[in-house]
This record gives sequence, C-alpha cells and structure tokens, in this order.
Amino acid sequence: MNNTLKDLCSLYGGSGREENVREYIIEQIKDFARYSVDPLGNIIAFKKGANTPENKVMLAAHMDEVGFIVNYITEKGFLKFTSVGGVDPAVICGKPVFVGSNRIAGAVGMKPVHLLKSDEKDKLPGIDEMYIDIGSNDADEAKQLISLGDRVYFESGFYKFGDGFIKARALDDRAGCAVLIDLIKSEPSYDLWFAFTVQEEVGLRGAKTAAYSIAPDYAIVVEATTAADISGVTGEKRVCELGKGAVVSYMDNGTVYNMDLYNRAFELAQKNNIKVQPKTRVAGGNDAGAIHTSRGGVKTLSISLPCRYLHSPSCVIKEEDLKDVRQLTKLTAESFAND
Amino acid sequence: MSEHNKLQNLILKLVGAAGVSGAESGASKVAAEELSRFMNVNTDTLGNVVGTVGETGPVILLDAHIDQIGMIVTGIDDEGFIKVDKCGGMDIRGLAAQEVIVWGKKPLKGVVTSIPPHLSNSDDAKTAKKITDLSIDVGMTAEKAKITIRPGDRVTLSGNAQCLMGDKICSPALDDRVGVAAILRSLELLEGRKIACKLVVQFSVQEETGGSGAKTGSYNSEAEECITVDVSFASAPGIPEEKCGDLGKGPMLGVAPILDESMFKTMEKIAIAENIPYQVEVMGARTGTNADSIQTTKAGIKTALLSIPLRNMHTPTEIISLADVENTARLIAAYILNREGKNE
Repeated sequence: MNNTLKDLCSLYGGSGREENVREYIIEQIKDFARYSVDPLGNIIAFKKGANTPENKVMLAAHMDEVGFIVNYITEKGFLKFTSVGGVDPAVICGKPVFVGSNRIAGAVGMKPVHLLKSDEKDKLPGIDEMYIDIGSNDADEAKQLISLGDRVYFESGFYKFGDGFIKARALDDRAGCAVLIDLIKSEPSYDLWFAFTVQEEVGLRGAKTAAYSIAPDYAIVVEATTAADISGVTGEKRVCELGKGAVVSYMDNGTVYNMDLYNRAFELAQKNNIKVQPKTRVAGGNDAGAIHTSRGGVKTLSISLPCRYLHSPSCVIKEEDLKDVRQLTKLTAESFAND
Repeated sequence: MSEHNKLQNLILKLVGAAGVSGAESGASKVAAEELSRFMNVNTDTLGNVVGTVGETGPVILLDAHIDQIGMIVTGIDDEGFIKVDKCGGMDIRGLAAQEVIVWGKKPLKGVVTSIPPHLSNSDDAKTAKKITDLSIDVGMTAEKAKITIRPGDRVTLSGNAQCLMGDKICSPALDDRVGVAAILRSLELLEGRKIACKLVVQFSVQEETGGSGAKTGSYNSEAEECITVDVSFASAPGIPEEKCGDLGKGPMLGVAPILDESMFKTMEKIAIAENIPYQVEVMGARTGTNADSIQTTKAGIKTALLSIPLRNMHTPTEIISLADVENTARLIAAYILNREGKNE
C-alpha cells in the first residue's frame, strides 16, 4: 500500500484533469475487479467477494487534487492564475511550481520584503495579485510553452521523515485511493462497489454521478482530513491527531452523518483493536455530501486519514494511521454489507 | 563543458551547501575549495574565507557574502515542534508549509506548520503568521528531537534549484552565492593574465545579520579599494521601476553617496569599452550591503557596488539570470586588468 501511495503522489491530477491518476489506478485494479469509466471520468469498479450480500456497499475516494489554472499571460510574460479547489495564499507565496503537461518550472513571485512598508510585511497578497514567473522575457516567449488553461501544481517530493511520517503533495486523497486499491486486491467476504471519483475539490461533482450509477444502500467515503495537532493548538481545535488512528466524522460542512453507522465504526474499531478517533470540529466536507443525497438517500460514513497541512505543498501523514484506515474501512464495509 | 554550464554548476554547488548567518561552515568550505584554485586561502577570526594573490601595487578587495538568510532554533515544545526565530531578514510570507532542513547534529527534514483553509478564517488568509507563532514539524517527539536538535541550530529553506526558461535559475540562497560565483568566475577570467595590483578576496560571514564579517575582514585587508558584489531587486509585477533593474541586462552599478564616484565612472567606461551590458542603480544614502561598513574601515576604503539583479529576494524561490553573473565577472576582471590606469 505504501509503494502505491508513493506512486499515486507522484502523479498530477487537478480536478477535471485526473487522467494520469485514472490510468494508474486502472492498471492496478484491472486484474482484480470489473470496472468502467463513466462520462465524467469516475472509475466504477465491482469486486466479487466470497458472498453476495444483502446490501450494496460503495467505497469512494477521490482522484483529484487541489492546484491552479493559468488564466492570463501578461505582456512581460508572467502567468496569472486562479486556484482549482481551496488553497490559502499563505502556502502559495514564494513556492516553486510546475506548469502544464510539459512541467515547465516556475515560482510564485513576491514583491521583495525590503520594499514593503512595515505594516505590509505580514499582509498576504490575494491569489488575484499573485503571478507565476517561469523566467520568460515576454508574452510571446511564454506562449511558446504555456497555454491558457494549463494546470499548475506545487513542486514537492514524496519523502519519509521523523518517526514514521510521510510528506508529499496530494495525499488528499491519494491516500484514500491507495486504501481502496489495496482492498480491491484483497479478498473481501462480500461483493463491494468502488468509486474513484473526479472533481471532489470543485464541488463533489464526480461523486454525484458515481453514486447515481452504483445506487448503493451504504457508502463509505475514504478521505484525508485536516489535522491541526500542531504547536499552540489545543482541545477540539486540533480536529484530529496523527498517530491516533482512523478519523470518523459525525458532521462536517456537507453532511450530517448517520449516527448508527458512526457508532458502529467505533464499536468495530474497539472490538478489533483498531485505533480510531472522532473528528472534533465541524469543518470541511467531502464526497459524502453528494453521496448521501443520491437518489432516495444513502446511509453514509466517512473514514479519514489524519493529515496535517492539507491543501499545501507539504501534506504530512503518519504511516501507521494508514493501516488503521484500511482495517476499519474493510470491517465497516463488511458489516454494512451484511446488515 | 561550456562556460555557461560550468558557471551554472558552480552556482548550483554553492547554493547546495548550507550557510545561515553565523553558521556558514558548509558553504564556506565549498567556497574556500573553489577559491583555493586561484590563491592561498585562510579563514579569519569571524569565519570569513580570505584569499590573497599578487605582491605589488594597490590592494583591491573583492567582497561577497557567503551567508544566507534562515532561521534559528529557539526551543522545542512538549510535543516536539521546533520553535524558531528569523536569522536574517526572512520573508515570513512564504514560510507556511515550506520544506526546511534543521541543521542539528545531523540534518533533519521538516515542514513549517500551517493551518489549512478548512480551518482558517478570512483574516488568516490575509495575514502571515508571526515567526514566533510558526513552528517546524520534524515528525518527532520532544524527547527524540532533543537528541539531535538544540537551541541555536540553524534552519535553511530547502528546495531543489530549478532551471527556468532561458538562462534563469531559481533556488533559495542565490543571495549572495551568485556574488561569490561572480568573483570566482572573474578570477578564472584573470588566470594567466598579469595584474598590477594585490588582490584580496573575502567571502564574508554574517552580512544578513548586520555585516560583522565585512567589518573585520576589510580591517585586515589593507585595501585601498573594494568592490562589493551583492544582489539587488530585479523588476517584477508590483515593483516600482525606479527601485529595480531588469534580469539579464547586466550588473547594476551602484551610485550612492557612500560609494566612490571615480570607481563608478571607471567601471562604466570599461563596461562601455568592453561591450559589457550594465544598469545603474541609484540609492539615496547607504546601500544595505557590506559596502556600507567597508567604506568606513580604518581610514576609509573607496568602495564600489556591483549588484546582480534577483527576483523574490529572501524567499525560497530567488531567481537570477546566468548572463548577469557572467557579465558581473567580466566587469570585475576588466576593472582589475585596467587598474594600472588612474581612476577618473
């Protein structure tokens, strides 16, 4: 699962441009499940289990990641851009990036701190004031390499550091994809449906059509969720903590979760010695928001990997949490299948 | 290997070594090795790398600072997060979620903490966190972190140097490793040429924290004249035209009350004669570089300032043009060869 995650994080796939991620996943699962690709680009896969269950259970993880899109080239050859998905200005300023499918290197430029007035030194520019510098001398030169609509990604490698931590771009939600691929390669007790969705970061669009097509009775969204267990943050504001296992949500900005499923996740975790923690803030949202209102309604659960610095070039997870997410996803899926 | 590639490799080698102010040994070692190809090299009391060549004639000092901006460890909290302060004029706006290296007993990778948009409010998105509110995540418990890291250790911004379009390079620490590279390249251009002066080269420490290295280095140098090579602002969106030069248009020749006018005029004349592109940078008083302290050393040292245009100063993505470094080197070499002639 860890090698799969490393591979997945090396791929670029902003919302609506998930093709590289999709091809990789198909390559991984094609010998283990029946699959199709829907009109929006979701992968919908059916995995035959040992038994055919009462209920249809769908597991979902999104393939897309946050990034940027070039929307203008200035006369002097600088690229203006806007974000695809939510990214804070704080993590964009001064960062190295890649532009377009040719991976042209660039940097998000900044006015030198020396030229700022003292009250400006901690003011972050808005994304609309920022620009990418690829070193071109003018617009014509830039246009040889860049087209409007080109996608932009942070330049950021995958590496392990500290005591079992991983830093990478796009762990949200390649971690979920890695868990689902691993489950497809395993031998589940019951038939399961899988959706690798597109365009989560721009409004849960892939999940809406995938859930419609699969028409599940139950759904489990496998995500990376925001952990704020950092210096100076205490209590519920930490949301969840690295090293404390799978995160289960009771509510976020898109979904009020089914309490029976929520409780069952904790019971199963306790019974099977899996580390689990509640998400202690109502914040963010994920594909569950679209899935639970699909057709006549779907009972939905979210199981997440705690992840620091989400939507930044340097997302950080703890490797051991991945195992807990995988175990809990498998157990809850089998439990719901046989409900 | 072409001259272009050689210069590029030299710069990449220099930015690849660590040398935050007061802890320059990594970068100093690389610079000293390179400098020893041309002259005898020593390290002085504060850590300046100093080389001397030539016996007779006026003493000319070539100065560029070897240190880079960074952070300094001030403590380790109960959970193992590393607390830091600035070491030099770090631009804090670019720090959130930045990859760093903590130079403890061994180098450790880390990430500067940040709060994601899901949890931030609209003020968070407009204001950069104070340096004292940030910390570095090295993925360790306090107990474990304390084995390798202690207060006073330095932190560098990490990032692979990238080649951008044309001859541009993007990397942390280009300020002022490109100045060091320009001086080394000028020495290469002077190789085998007879020079009528004594050259002292100093790669000075602690420029970013006040210029201590340049003060003591120039005191020891007995120099009559000094050329300081540093970086200055290159044009980019939002920067007033009068406060910057352009990337790729050559070294910026400084004009300021504290800088020597005759040296400027001679350099300009040589640049024109040798067909070296240059730009003029005018400052109203001091220059914010080592030139400021070198000028008043002992009974005074006539000082000129050559600045290599650079974008995004004091961020992880500083950008320069190789041609500017090469042309800076050419101008220094031509000035030294011409030194027999009187300045105007």
